[in-house]
Amino acid sequence: MSKENIIQITDLTKVYGDGVKIKALDNVNLTIGRGEFMAIVGPSGSGKSTLLNMIGILDTPTSGTITLDRVDITKASEKERSKMRNQKLGFIFQYHHLLPDFNAVENVMMPLLINGIKPSNARAKAHTMLKEVGLGERVNHRPKQLSGGENQRVAIARALANSPDIVIGDELTGNLDSGTSEKIYELLRKLNREHDQTFILVTHDERMAEKTERIIRLVDGKITEDKST
Amino acid sequence: MFEINIALRNIKARRRQTTFSVIAVALSVAIIIVSMSMLTGFRENIIETTIENQAHIMVLPKENEDYISLYYGLEGFIREQEGVAAVSSYYKGNAAIQYRHNVEGAVLSGVRPVDEDRVLNVKKDMIAGEFESITRSGNRIILGSKLADKLEVGMDDTVTVSFPGSKPSDFKITGIIQRGTSADETLAYANLEQVQDFYGKSGIVTGIGIRVSDVYAVEPLADRIELETGYDAESWMEQSSEILNLLDTQKQFVFIFYLMIFAISGFSIANILTMIVMEKVGEIGMLLAMGTSRKSILGIFLLEAGILGIIGVIIGTVLGYVSCILLISYTIPVPPEMYFGLDHLPIRIAPKNFLTAGTFSMIINILAGINPARRASKMDPVEAIHSV
Repeated sequence: MSKENIIQITDLTKVYGDGVKIKALDNVNLTIGRGEFMAIVGPSGSGKSTLLNMIGILDTPTSGTITLDRVDITKASEKERSKMRNQKLGFIFQYHHLLPDFNAVENVMMPLLINGIKPSNARAKAHTMLKEVGLGERVNHRPKQLSGGENQRVAIARALANSPDIVIGDELTGNLDSGTSEKIYELLRKLNREHDQTFILVTHDERMAEKTERIIRLVDGKITEDKST
Repeated sequence: MFEINIALRNIKARRRQTTFSVIAVALSVAIIIVSMSMLTGFRENIIETTIENQAHIMVLPKENEDYISLYYGLEGFIREQEGVAAVSSYYKGNAAIQYRHNVEGAVLSGVRPVDEDRVLNVKKDMIAGEFESITRSGNRIILGSKLADKLEVGMDDTVTVSFPGSKPSDFKITGIIQRGTSADETLAYANLEQVQDFYGKSGIVTGIGIRVSDVYAVEPLADRIELETGYDAESWMEQSSEILNLLDTQKQFVFIFYLMIFAISGFSIANILTMIVMEKVGEIGMLLAMGTSRKSILGIFLLEAGILGIIGVIIGTVLGYVSCILLISYTIPVPPEMYFGLDHLPIRIAPKNFLTAGTFSMIINILAGINPARRASKMDPVEAIHSV
């Protein structure tokens, strides 16, 4: 692979529990290049979400290191971690968690405002992002007035608003029917090609995983397969 | 400032519940403002009556002495003191006043009318005749309204004043005074020199009354006079110390009740905020994931407490003000014997009370917001996001 490495994971281990210890991740080593479109698959409890939370700086490892864009995030302060989450990462979860009292464009503006961008600029950027995900006509609708698929598109636009290097999706089509899921995947693929951002998607849906370029399979906290499709 | 935006939307989206918290805050502020205005009115009323009806400082004879001799010099010294507005020397003695078959005991005060009026504002209480009339030649006397009633006398009647050891003298009534206190039953005014002559005590007085320009700065002045002259100088505060202490004690007790009322409104704020935080766990998680700092999350919910509090305080202040105005216009009667002679509920609208009630309410509302806000800011984003 000729691509520059954006994520470098070395000997990553995560142990949960005080009494009975559960090894969620066991000495994981992984390198991910810039602009990759990949999936992490595995059965429930295999540690795939844990791995994703580590990459998303939402959780800290018991041992090992993770470097994002040459920065060791395991040594970063709480403030630096927040800043990196805001600027380098975009999140899409199974449930969209849009703010119900804000309309689509205001929701997409949120990470930009957190980043300290001027409201007028943030609004313009949010409009562009919503157009890109095909919701240019529904910018003033609130989450309640949008369908599940549309809300997930708003969440995607929000995840991409700050032009992050890495976008992570955790079972992001878990609540959608297969037709809508497929459209969402196609949209993500299109965005990945256009913006050269790294997409890491956790799913237990093998059919969806097949649509990515690379599949990492986790079983009991260990990588058992790493294949390019 | 996206924090303000989120805080405002959270409040607006729950208009019904937030309205109740705002009402709770507003009512607590209004109740406390009305209550404080009553206490202030009560206190000021008592002080006003006190400083209106007695000299602000009374200079009395030295210990073991009955009179002040050489009072001209003493008067001059007092007049020179800073803060002294007027000085009036008087000779006060007991006397019996007789008119036909009616005899009544009286306190006969010999004064210089101009001085006495400057110290005690007596002229405005005259209901018949002139206060200065006692300086005219011949024996003239002004009687308290109730004393005159008991003697069944009126203007221009002549009464006989007597005192053991003195020669009974006739005085012509040239005025009736009504001070509105119990003094009206015994009060009798005559010219200082004539009273001194009547008692056979020329050149001496029994006291000197002083009016000051600042009634609250009276203590140091009284102390100075006492120290430099050796005479006993009592301020009105000293004379009314008992009732003033009682009011201060009452203030402390009432303050505990205020805190309790504020606590109730604080709980209603804490309640609504806890509810919002519980409803928004997923969104708080998402905000954290998007890089919102924990400080900002804390800020959002403290802002909500602050916004609800300030709306409540503003409404409560207006409500309190209107209530005070209404209470002032509809005079509410109270039994005077229980309220130190006041016949209606006194209400004084003082800006200080509004400021105190508003500030205390705001402090308690923000404190009430701290717990839910901290809980929101300490959430684990992963757990929060997956809690739905």
